[in-house]
Parts: sequence; C-alpha cells; structure tokens
Amino acid sequence: MTSALLVVAFYYPIGTVLVEAVIVVDGGVTLGVFAEILRDPFYFGELARLFAKESPFAVAPDIVSSDRRLGIIGFTAYQAVLSTIASVALGLPAAYLLARFEFRGRQALRSLTIVPFVLPSIMVAVGFVATFGRNGTLNAVLGAVGLPPVELMFTLEAIVIAHVFYNAPLVARVTTAAWESVDASAVETARSLGAGPIRAFYDVVAPQVYPAVLTGAALTFVFTFGTFPIVLALGGFQLATVEVFIYRFVRDLSYAEAAALAIIELVISLGVLLAYLRYEARNTVRSRGARPLPRRSLFPSAPTARELLPRLGLAGYVVVAGLVFVAPIASMVLASVTGGDGGLTLDHYRFLVDRQRTGTAFQVRPWPAIRNSLTFAGAATLLALPMGVVVAVLTTRRYRGRKLVDAAAMAPLAVSGIIVGLGLLRGLVFGFEVWGWRITVAGSVAIVVAHAVAGYPFVVRTVAPGLAGLDRSLIESARALGASRVRVIRDIELPLVWPGVVAGAAFAFAISIGEFTATVVLATGVDAYTMPVAIERFIGRRLGPATAMGVILLIVTGLSFVVVERLGGESRGL
Amino acid sequence: MKAVGSEGDRGPARGPDGDPPAVELDGVTKRYGETAAVDSVSLRIREGEFFTLVGPSGCGKTTTLRLIAGFETPTAGAVRFVGEDVSGVPPERRDVGVVFQNYALFPHMTVGENIGYGLKFADSPDRQSRDERVAELLELVDLPDAADRDPESLSGGQQQRVAMARALAPSPDLLLLDEPMSALDAQLRERLRVQVRAIQSELGITTVYITHDQEEALAISDRMAVMRAGAPEQTAAPRDVYRRPASQFVAKFIGDNNVFVGRVTKVTEVSADAADDTSVAAVDVGSETLRVALGGAGDALDVAVGDRLTFCVRPEYLRIDGGESRIRATVANAEFLGETTRVTLDWDGRDLVVRTRDPLSGGVVAGFDPEDAHVVRVDTS
Repeated sequence: MTSALLVVAFYYPIGTVLVEAVIVVDGGVTLGVFAEILRDPFYFGELARLFAKESPFAVAPDIVSSDRRLGIIGFTAYQAVLSTIASVALGLPAAYLLARFEFRGRQALRSLTIVPFVLPSIMVAVGFVATFGRNGTLNAVLGAVGLPPVELMFTLEAIVIAHVFYNAPLVARVTTAAWESVDASAVETARSLGAGPIRAFYDVVAPQVYPAVLTGAALTFVFTFGTFPIVLALGGFQLATVEVFIYRFVRDLSYAEAAALAIIELVISLGVLLAYLRYEARNTVRSRGARPLPRRSLFPSAPTARELLPRLGLAGYVVVAGLVFVAPIASMVLASVTGGDGGLTLDHYRFLVDRQRTGTAFQVRPWPAIRNSLTFAGAATLLALPMGVVVAVLTTRRYRGRKLVDAAAMAPLAVSGIIVGLGLLRGLVFGFEVWGWRITVAGSVAIVVAHAVAGYPFVVRTVAPGLAGLDRSLIESARALGASRVRVIRDIELPLVWPGVVAGAAFAFAISIGEFTATVVLATGVDAYTMPVAIERFIGRRLGPATAMGVILLIVTGLSFVVVERLGGESRGL
Repeated sequence: MKAVGSEGDRGPARGPDGDPPAVELDGVTKRYGETAAVDSVSLRIREGEFFTLVGPSGCGKTTTLRLIAGFETPTAGAVRFVGEDVSGVPPERRDVGVVFQNYALFPHMTVGENIGYGLKFADSPDRQSRDERVAELLELVDLPDAADRDPESLSGGQQQRVAMARALAPSPDLLLLDEPMSALDAQLRERLRVQVRAIQSELGITTVYITHDQEEALAISDRMAVMRAGAPEQTAAPRDVYRRPASQFVAKFIGDNNVFVGRVTKVTEVSADAADDTSVAAVDVGSETLRVALGGAGDALDVAVGDRLTFCVRPEYLRIDGGESRIRATVANAEFLGETTRVTLDWDGRDLVVRTRDPLSGGVVAGFDPEDAHVVRVDTS
C-alpha cells in the first residue's frame, strides 16, 4: 500500500520529470536539452566551456581569475557552500554552550533548536525583510544611533544569513547530541594516561563530535542547494538559484528546460547526500555514552582568566545569535503591529479582515488560505502518518535489500519540493492515461500528496528510532504467546513508541503548514493557495499584511511545535 | 580415530511407549551468510523432560532455541513437534512459552495484563476465566498480590517469575527458557533454580533450558546437550556427562578436569571370569607411566600398544600421596574456596588441578587409581 502510494506520489512524478527532460516534441528521445544546459555559461559559468569541449588549459585561467562567471549552478553551489560554512560557524558555539554548560533554561534552549524545522521558510523570509529591509528594524536601530542605513536586501549576505537562521540550529542540534554522548570515562582515561585537557579534547572528544558536524554540514549543503522560498523572497531573480529558475521555467510553461534543470539539481544534491551517507556508514561509532561529561556552571564562582575566556566568547556569540535568530521573528511580530507612521496599530490585521470581506475572487483572501492550510495539513498528516509508520517498521526490520528500501523511502528528504511539485503537476494534475482512460487529479489533492511526501520522512525519523530501540524479545515474547505479526504492532510496538508517532504527526502537520515550494507550483487555481503562498503574494506589494499573515502562521506552527516538544521530539534524530 | 561415546549419546528414537519425541531436530542447520550458527543438529527431547543446552557463548545454543520457538527458520533440516514438521509454522501457532534472559515484560502493561496477554488468543478468552487463570499463575510463582503492579517496580527475581507465569499461562506444550537467570546474583539464582525445577515437575511440561553455566546445567537437567561450534558434542544425563565426557572439550567444559595425552606401552587384558575387574593400559605421559582402566570384560575399549590415548582425571580423584599411578609435582598456586582449596600443581610444565582440605606447598606426590581415569579419545597408531 505504502509503496504503491510512494510510487504514485513520488517516484512516478519524478519519473515524469525525467522523461520530460529527454523527450522532444515529436516524441524522440534526446539528451539535447541537457547538453545545451551543460554548455551554456549562463548555467555553468566558465565550467560550461569544458563541457563545450574547450581545452581545460584555456578555461583554467578564467576559472581562477577574479571576474569569473559562476553561472546559475555555480552560484547556487557557491551560496550553499557559504551558507554551510556560516551555519557551522554559528552552530558550533551553540553546541559548545548546550553540551558543556549548565544554566537555567538550558533544556528549553536545546528544545528551541528544533524550531526552524517547523518554521515555514516563507515566514522566515518575511521576518528577514522586516529586519534587514530598507525600512527594517536594523536600519531603524542604526538610524537611531546616527549610523548610515545598510542595504542588505537582495544581497548574497541576506540569503546566507537566512540560511544560517535555518541550518545553524540543525548543526547545533546534531553536534550537541554527539557531544553529550561522549563518555566521560573516555576523557578521564585519556587524562590519566597523560593528556592535558586540550589534548584530551583533540584526541577523544573531537573525533566523536566531528562526524556529527559533518552530518550537519552535509544536510545544510543539500538543503541550501535546493533553497527556494528564501531566495525568491530575499534574492529575487537577480540572485536566483537553480530552484528559482526551475520555478520561472514552470511559470513560463517551458517544462522541458525546467525538468532538465531539475534533474541536474537532483543529481548534484543526491550526489552530495550519497557521498555523505557512504562516509557515515564507514564512520559510525555508536558509543552509547554510559556517563556524559559533567557540565560546568555558566556563571563560575571564582572568576579566573581560564574560566572567563570561553564565557566571554560565548557572550559575544549570544549577541550575534540574537541578531540572527531572534531579531527576524521579533521584527516580524513588531512590523505586523507597526503603522506607516511608526505608531502601534492593528491596521494590517484589519486589512486582512477587510480583504476577506470585500476582496474579489481573484484576490488573495486570508480565510481561504488559513482554511486551505489547515485542511491540507490535516489530510497530509493523515496520509503521512501511516506511510511513515509503515516505512519505519520496514526500515527497522532486517532483511535483504533493506538499505535500498531505506534510501528509496527517505529520498524525498533530499529532493526539493519544486521537483515533486513539477512532477505531480505534469504527471497527475495534467493527467495520465490508463487503458484509454484519462485520469486527472485535482490540484488540491496533488498538494496534499506533495505535503504528505514532504512530511512522512519526519514521521519515519521520529518513529524509527523508537522501534529500532525496542527490545526484540518483547516482540518475540508476544508472538510466542500467540499474537500475530500485525497484532504485535498494534499491541506492543505502537503503544511503546506512541510519543514518537504523535511527534511525527505534529512534524508532518507543521511541515505541511509551512510547505511553500511544491504548493506554489501546484496552487495554480485561485482556490488552492495556502498561508505561505498568500504571504508570498502579499510580500512584494504589502509588507504589513504579509507580516500579519506571518504572525498567524507563526502561531499555528508554534502550537504544533509545542506538541512536538511535549511528546519527545527532543531525543529524536532530527 | 575412534570416538568414545557414552550410552546416553544416542537417545532412544522413541519414548518407552513408542511415541515420537516431544521435540525433534533432524539435521537442522542455520546459516547466516557463510557461517553456520547451528550445524546439522539432531536432538530428540522426550515428553515431560527437562532438557538443557549448555555451551560457551557463540556455540549456537540460543539459535537452536530460536529455531525450536520458530523465531528462526532452518536453512536445512526439520523441526518436529510430536512427529509433526513445524518448520513453516510461525511462533504464535507453535504453542510454546518463552522466557528471555531480560524477561521482556511489556512495560506498558501491569503484571496481570502481562500474564493475561497470551490468554487473549486462547479459544475461549472470556474475561473472568482469564482473571482466574492469572490469579492461579501468580499463586504458582508465589507472587499472589502482584497483579496490578507495574513490572518495572519488581525486583529482578520477581520479574523473572512473572515472565515464567506469562509463558505458562496459555498452557503451552513446550517451555523454552533462554538463560532466564543469568542476570541475577548467585544466591538468588540457586533459589530460583530449585523453584523453576519444582514448577516444571509439578506441571510435567517439556522444557528446553539454555545456559552457559555448566553447574546450573548439571543441577537442573534430566538430560543435557553440551554444544560447541554449532553442534552438540555429547547428549546425556548430567551424571554421565560428568563421569564419562565424550570429548576433551566436554571434559574441560563441564567441571574441572585434568587431561592427559600419552602413548600406550602395555595392555593388561582381564580374564573373562573376573567380572568386577577391568583391562588396564599403561600409558607413558611425560616422565611417568600411568595406568588407565579400559573397562570390564566384554565392553573394554579396543586399545593396542602404540596407540595414542587421551584421558582425564577429575581433581577430586587426584589424591595427594594416594592412588596407584603417582606423579611428582610442585605447588604452583592455591585458591582457597571455603570447603576445599583448589591447588594448581606444576608437573614438568603441565598444569594439574587437585582439591584438598589441607594447605599444600613445595613438592608433592599426586596419584589416581586406574578406574578413576576416563578415556575420551583413542588414536590408533
């Protein structure tokens, strides 16, 4: 069942995209579209000349020269690398703080690192516009102290900072988990063998933490390589990534180019992910930390230089982190209640209400957006939950070819929504023929399917660790007592991993609420738009209502976040 | 080479009434990739018997149990319950009760719900008879008031008894116990051992017990199979396994033992009419010539001069300043164990173990009588 759903909802659409890319109008098969893209400096920059069979010696000097052309794909990779470096740079101090220090609210802060996963990226974009825009909070503060305003919008910096907002907490989260699982007695053994504290860190702690940092970095690269809403909102078409161009092709109905570009993007991000997975498989050292390293108090009783130095560094970090992580959200909330004259106002919310009352059919009205978001999220959760649970059960069993099932089932995590959206659009919404019948699927159904596909890997991620951690003898005992395989899942396994199931459901719900990419491709009709799509349509023209809408979205996702956290998202893989 | 077996090695194919055995493994092999965890094992377990599989870790005993339970399917061979092939029958339809090393009590259920779980799948699962059966079993395992308790609030020994009760509740035909006591401390283990055996005798249920503890195996079993590298080396009653180990491995694994290897220099045949006497071989081991009994008239081992003989002598039969064959050795190490002292002697670089009451030191003479030596292997020249 689940596999059939996966095929229809994911692999078939992806396949459609693939086929689309190689078939020309008269039905012949060609790689011409690929070849054109590969040779076009517009996409590949100077590298394209290599694909165009120019001599490497002629190209090399241009590649290293300062005014080289990167091309779209080059630029996408470039901003992904920058974002990855910046995310690791901002994630590691947070991991250090969380793993090594004890202070009030540490648990809460650790929990907060999960927030970006449930924050819709379009909302983050709104927050960034509200913070770094021409009239944003940052310039207001700078102006108040007499400094000249800075123009960050539509710059690479803005995109990178937004990516950091999203991915640094991820790096922090996986690194903290690894750091906490370092066994204190391993460090103590090293110390007793003559290693100083720094040497012990280098020899014992670092090798165990390093793979986690790499995990964070690899995921960050893949996520930022396939970034879309943030770049669309903060970069526009001047600083477009591959995704944005795919979107533009879709809008211009150039499906073959969109598909070919999508395939190239897919190959690159899957390549990185596979390379990483191979590395991980070779380097997984599961040391279940018997006894974690003791935490130091954040506020030492005796202020010596050695005690103070790392804490001063952390204090500096907190300022930067505040600007990157807190300011956008705070600014968005602030902007939603600030009028044009700077005074407090509810005008923007009133605008939404008025628009709802008086808006014409082709205008974006808030209530359908909210209603659609909630309906789609509910339906997508209902779909994602059983899929995720079944996949989780499958991935925790041992049998031949399990690795393949693993990878195939988790692939949607690495494939950007735009490809799924495009595939669903071409494959299902435009219809397909079965024995002479033309079957088409409504746009809203396709959206639900796309959301379920985007959300179920999170169900897998929250349910599978619990299932894998279950004592096999519990299951075998139940079977020996007469319970069938299915009965065991119902009576023993699901009750024991229930918190994970609920957390997974909340994840799926939140992912669906925030999903933008696939939705914007599929929401062709006037009726199928969701809150994120509404925000995007507002953002260009009216920042105020966009922020007001963003606040509503924040509240809805915040609620599902509370559910996630209450039910143990904490100990999960993500 | 001629293997020297004991009579228990070849258990009867059928019980006294000609019934097929309760459990029969017929050439069962279980492979994981290239390695065979269980290698063409044939065993027959009789109705009502307490049968133990004992061996070092990795010998395949747990896999054997899992094959009987149905958690694993054999790569080759057949598992039969009372003559019927059950190789394709899933565990829930085999009517077996299983107790695991960690008890595997369902943490989200009370003790009573745990015990009652298997009754849900019985033919007439009405609530009242279920509750009665649960109370009955709690009585049996001596935990009458525990029904509403949380399994995690019980001690290890209590959890073990609940696991027993849960396995027995649906009245299975077969009880399988996978090292059910190895997580408990030594004193509790001995107490529970007696209790488990008493319950088994009371119910008369065929039981397969897994342990790596040879002492436990000797104490609890009707018959036992000593396993090594995926196959049993000897299957017999505990007394026979101890007295007449079938191989050097069994001799060393079950209890303490001194193993000697030497060449036969002379065989003294006993005359046919001397019923209580035995043939004796003189064997050169190191610097000494030791005399080893080969058995009485009629069933004496076929040994010729020049054969290589492997035999063993239990420490308790190796006496200081006693016995017919004498060995000069020096004390290398002594462990005081309470009732006895286990003394390791050095005999020209070989280790010998004796048990004594008196403290020993320096040079000693240890000896044994020919009847106290047991031949485990004969290699003809």
